[in-house]
Amino acid sequence: MSEHDQPLPRFNAELTRRRFLQGSALAGFGAFLAACGASTGGGESPTPAGSVFVPTAPPVATAAPSTAPTPLPSPTGPLKFANWPAYIDLAGKAGTAGVYAPGSSPTIEQFKKKYGVDVDYEEKIEDNKTFYATIQPQLQAGTATGWDLIVITDWLAAKVISKNWAEQIIPADVPNAVANLQDSLKGRVWDANNDYHYPWQSGMTGIGFNTNDLKAAGITPPTSLQELWAIKPSKVSFLTESRDTFGLGLLKLGKSADPAQTTTDDLQAVHDDIKPLVTQGLIFAGNEYLENFAAKKTWAAMVWSGDLASSGTAGDTFQVPDEGVMIWTDNMVIPKGAVNKYTAELMINFVYDPKIAAQIEDYVYYVCPVKGADVEIKKIDPSAATNPLIFPTPDMVAKYHNFQFLSDDLETALDNLYLDLTGG
Amino acid sequence: MTALQASPPRPSSLRRWLSLLGPYLLLAPGLIWLVYFFVWPAAQMFLMAVSSGSLDNGFKLTWTLTPLHDALFNFPTQWSHSLLYGAISTSLDFLIGFPVAYTIAFRGGRYKNLLLFLVIAPFFTSFLIRTISWQILLGDEGPILSFLKHTLGVVPEEFSILYSPFAVIAGLTYNFLPFMILPLYVALEKIDPALLEASGDLYGGRWQTFRKVTFPLALPGVFAGTILTFIPTMGDYVNAELLGSPQTRMIGNVIQGRFLQTNDYPIASALSFVLMAGILLAVFIYARALGTEDLTG
Repeated sequence: MSEHDQPLPRFNAELTRRRFLQGSALAGFGAFLAACGASTGGGESPTPAGSVFVPTAPPVATAAPSTAPTPLPSPTGPLKFANWPAYIDLAGKAGTAGVYAPGSSPTIEQFKKKYGVDVDYEEKIEDNKTFYATIQPQLQAGTATGWDLIVITDWLAAKVISKNWAEQIIPADVPNAVANLQDSLKGRVWDANNDYHYPWQSGMTGIGFNTNDLKAAGITPPTSLQELWAIKPSKVSFLTESRDTFGLGLLKLGKSADPAQTTTDDLQAVHDDIKPLVTQGLIFAGNEYLENFAAKKTWAAMVWSGDLASSGTAGDTFQVPDEGVMIWTDNMVIPKGAVNKYTAELMINFVYDPKIAAQIEDYVYYVCPVKGADVEIKKIDPSAATNPLIFPTPDMVAKYHNFQFLSDDLETALDNLYLDLTGG
Repeated sequence: MTALQASPPRPSSLRRWLSLLGPYLLLAPGLIWLVYFFVWPAAQMFLMAVSSGSLDNGFKLTWTLTPLHDALFNFPTQWSHSLLYGAISTSLDFLIGFPVAYTIAFRGGRYKNLLLFLVIAPFFTSFLIRTISWQILLGDEGPILSFLKHTLGVVPEEFSILYSPFAVIAGLTYNFLPFMILPLYVALEKIDPALLEASGDLYGGRWQTFRKVTFPLALPGVFAGTILTFIPTMGDYVNAELLGSPQTRMIGNVIQGRFLQTNDYPIASALSFVLMAGILLAVFIYARALGTEDLTG
């Protein structure tokens, strides 16, 4: 950690999570080991000592609609739940460290208590591609992956669903999710009726900078991508997540960032637009941009909203570019062959309870997919309720672009163009 | 004892077998280890390098040469970076390491063990943490540059080291220095001081003694040290990733990118294979040039 001091405990949490998202293999490996070490005690009693919370949901099983024609199956366990590091509310020491340990997440403990079923929650997903490589052979072979619930980003969720590798979610089992999913997240082309997925968290990708540092450097804060491109390239960083960088690159060129409209020529144009900046010293960064901001190495960058929402550094600003902003979502999906499918549905339903969602949000600080969580979060953290990075304004929502679900051709072209830019 | 004398050891057939197989049985754990963790993966890597397909649809062994061809010819910049940075940092390690090893071996006295411990001490910290620390050390406002810029004012405000080739080479040099010092120390430590005295008795000056006695006797250490340093620096990607920019990428970064970003296992395997084969060849030539019989003894 460098000079950016007094970060909130959750700052580190964000760092860990996004660090993985950008796929830095070695760092990922280290924390993978840490995650393995931290999650070996899955088989304990449902109510371990410490952080036992009174369930906030009414004792009546919310998952059971009153008109259920057949008796509901009973929950089975342990629920095998794979998620990203520090992506759920963590209390106590685990909260500070940003690493899950059994018993450290109030949400998980409340779920265990409510349904009397064990949850084997593991921070096993470091980045989409690496995780996909671990489950793809089983899915291909038609055997169980060992997971009941996984959290994967849009494009991968789309891929898994399109290959018919996800279990169908029965709406009657997830009434909270059906009722409370934010409208802006409905109707995704790859699963328009949410038959196979429900969002876990979303995030925006836009421009980030520290107003105080920019002022000191004599630079006008960029409000558009055009202006970001115009800043001295050696003082700017773009993102290591290629869909984010190229998505914003398309918007900058005035092109559509709708994957259905995009062609490989468009991607090539973005590449050619960025390449000169690279030769002038542009770098690609994951959330190390925060360190680079602090060290004044970087003046402005493409950033993820959650990092800025929780950085706690005075002057840190997330700017929605005039041209538009990228929105991405990590989604809960039940992989084909899940042993505890019904319990997985119960979990989806559980986290769509606005109270539970508010509890998670108050730790992870990403864009909340659950309606009503803004009301609930007021009770525990009033400042979070008005934070547009957690609950974006309608103006922001209007500028959303989802550049996630790409055709195979587009994806291959993107990968190769991105690797060419980054010298890999 | 008397019994033994009475019946001298007649090689029974079992015993003959044992004496024949003995060396192999003793080697077995090492051999199995090598076969399982080196030969078999290397063979698999080669087979992947001549396969085609994708992660989604599976890879099939088609004996295609495209990946190997691409690996050899499509990444000239990154190959040359690997060679260049590897060579420069190995040379720097030698220039820094030799005096250090020499001093510890001949002038260390009772501090020898402490000094050796200090050489190894950085290994108690993770490789990653050490490299990330260099980001801070070399940062634009880090301890070095802020001193040069603000206190001394000898360096322009805009000057920057981090994300340049210099930073990558600095990181490589630092990270692999102990691999140079330790073999050099072992070789120098073995030198009998009487030989140096004899050289003096024969009117050899300090420089002559060093050139004609010390250095030739230290050659096995030089050989081992350069090999141990050059091989990992060639394949390293962490330093180029953390301290470099897109313009300083090495072949290790390409392999990582192809493997994790595009899941293009054939080209990643082909690159690894070419890297390994190239290094083996280089080591072989180097060993022949230096004459291994004299060195490894």
